[in-house]
Amino acid sequence: MTEHVLSPQGQQCLQALMRVWFEFERQLGRVPLLQRLERGQFSKADYCQLLLNWRQQVIEGSRWISRCASSFDRDYSDVRSTIIGHAREEHRDYEMLERDYVAAGGNLNDIQQAPRNIGTEALHGFLMYRAGQPNPVDLIGAMWIIEGLGQKMANDWAAQIDKTSGGDGSYTRFMRYHGANDDDHMQKLYQLIDRLCQSPAQLTAIVRTARVTARLYCLQLEEVEHDY
Amino acid sequence: MSVYINSTGHFLPGPAISNDEMEPLLGLVHGKPSRLKRRILQSNGIHTRHYAIDANHNTTISNAAMAARAAEHCLTDSFIGKRQIKMLSAATSQGDVVLPGFGSMLQAELGLSDIELHSSHGICSGSMMALKAAFTNLKAGEQPNALVVASELTSRLFKASRYEAAGTALDFNAEFLRWMLSDGAGALLLETQARGQCFRIDWIRSFSHADAYPVCMSVGYPTDSNHSQSWQDYATYAQAEAAGALLIRQDVRLLENIVKLGVDGYLRLISEGRVQPDKVDHVLCHYSSHYFRGKIFDMLQRAGVGIAEHKWYSNLYSRGNTGCASIFIMLDEFRRTQNYKTGDTIVCMVPESGRFNNAYMQLTVVEA
Repeated sequence: MTEHVLSPQGQQCLQALMRVWFEFERQLGRVPLLQRLERGQFSKADYCQLLLNWRQQVIEGSRWISRCASSFDRDYSDVRSTIIGHAREEHRDYEMLERDYVAAGGNLNDIQQAPRNIGTEALHGFLMYRAGQPNPVDLIGAMWIIEGLGQKMANDWAAQIDKTSGGDGSYTRFMRYHGANDDDHMQKLYQLIDRLCQSPAQLTAIVRTARVTARLYCLQLEEVEHDY
Repeated sequence: MSVYINSTGHFLPGPAISNDEMEPLLGLVHGKPSRLKRRILQSNGIHTRHYAIDANHNTTISNAAMAARAAEHCLTDSFIGKRQIKMLSAATSQGDVVLPGFGSMLQAELGLSDIELHSSHGICSGSMMALKAAFTNLKAGEQPNALVVASELTSRLFKASRYEAAGTALDFNAEFLRWMLSDGAGALLLETQARGQCFRIDWIRSFSHADAYPVCMSVGYPTDSNHSQSWQDYATYAQAEAAGALLIRQDVRLLENIVKLGVDGYLRLISEGRVQPDKVDHVLCHYSSHYFRGKIFDMLQRAGVGIAEHKWYSNLYSRGNTGCASIFIMLDEFRRTQNYKTGDTIVCMVPESGRFNNAYMQLTVVEA
């Protein structure tokens, strides 16, 4: 594959997005559930609870991204193609997640009946709102965070979850699958950054949306342990 | 007011020890050769280092004495003598004694009178914290000069007998640093007046992330995951040792974070305008550079802020990783052996994995 070379504006954007990502990783490091995962005090029940809360986000994820694609007008038809392809690839990921939940000992009915937690509610509300705006270039910031999270799940969390809960990889397939085609995904992201970040105002909007997405994602994970 | 590094010095104890000579010197644990040694050495790339213990595990020179020798080496190259030194700022991860502070012991060893004293405690970034304390003290006009010294004598932790006292077989995380760290000391002389060709300190900054990450390198806990009891909580020190609470550990799984945080700090300094990547002429980094290859560095190149490989200088591979002393030993050898010219910009980076503190400094070569 030929490597994509970013424009100066795209490079600025990439620098800023890298910082947002590192800040997000530190935010994740302060979430009690994930601190326990890091310390190796994380049970299968914790994992099931995490998947139960994650499912809604995965389902809603395919919806905002489809809406985002449809909000780009004909000047951005190339972007629309890329995003439609992406939405198509991932819109049934939640089924894999459900199978993991059952393999880890969860009841299918429980996960299918679970409501959105309040963090998911906020994240979904924000992303659907942004996705409905004309030419929502800022959503590349949300994609950046979510792609990064997919790679973190695959390269970091899946093995640690198996290690601490005594698994053999049979119930972390959803997480591991996100590590596939990393390089290809990164190339697509770089291309989108270049295409969509062409002015300082766009850079500001992209970084802001990345930060909001990161903060609300954390809220969703903080809420995994809240019962009501 | 500007602050200048007018002289540097180092001390490395005994002869250079090759990879093959390491284990005979440190000793076979339970009489068996290490199965991890080769892999760890291959990954860190170090081929020689120095130890302040001999094969009989006698300490050949104390930590404070090594620090004093480095300081004296630094002063032999300077315009001022011990009598004129006004401040001593010292760093080590473990002094020869638990108390008093390392600075006090070093002051006595060096025979410095009536000085202002600062001891900094930490791991690899301890030297940069000591340097920053001296730098700000001089900048504030409190003192005209300061001697900053960093020294490490970790080999005492690596004696086979220490591991045997901790009982069962060694785990990877407890053995990792045995093949990584070694002994040495470095010193810098700071003055508010430039002399000859010297380094002006433009700024020193550090970013600590202990609130967001677990402990990654430690002495004092019995295992990586059990932090409920520290070495001081056992009934006797013998019990603490038997539990493995006195071994030095590295939670290797967390190490990748140091690269990410290193890059994060670098990007922050760029956005603050402190670092201008295209103006950097030399990079001195206390970290084996090959750890910095890979995805994140690829990303830095794409983002247009990578620094060309030929600008990186390190002597870690030949002098060993001497903890907080490394960056001073590196700067000393750089100053004595490398080509640089007035106006050049030097960036120093010290990522500490202890609980993730990253320190950075920029120097400019000036001529008085």
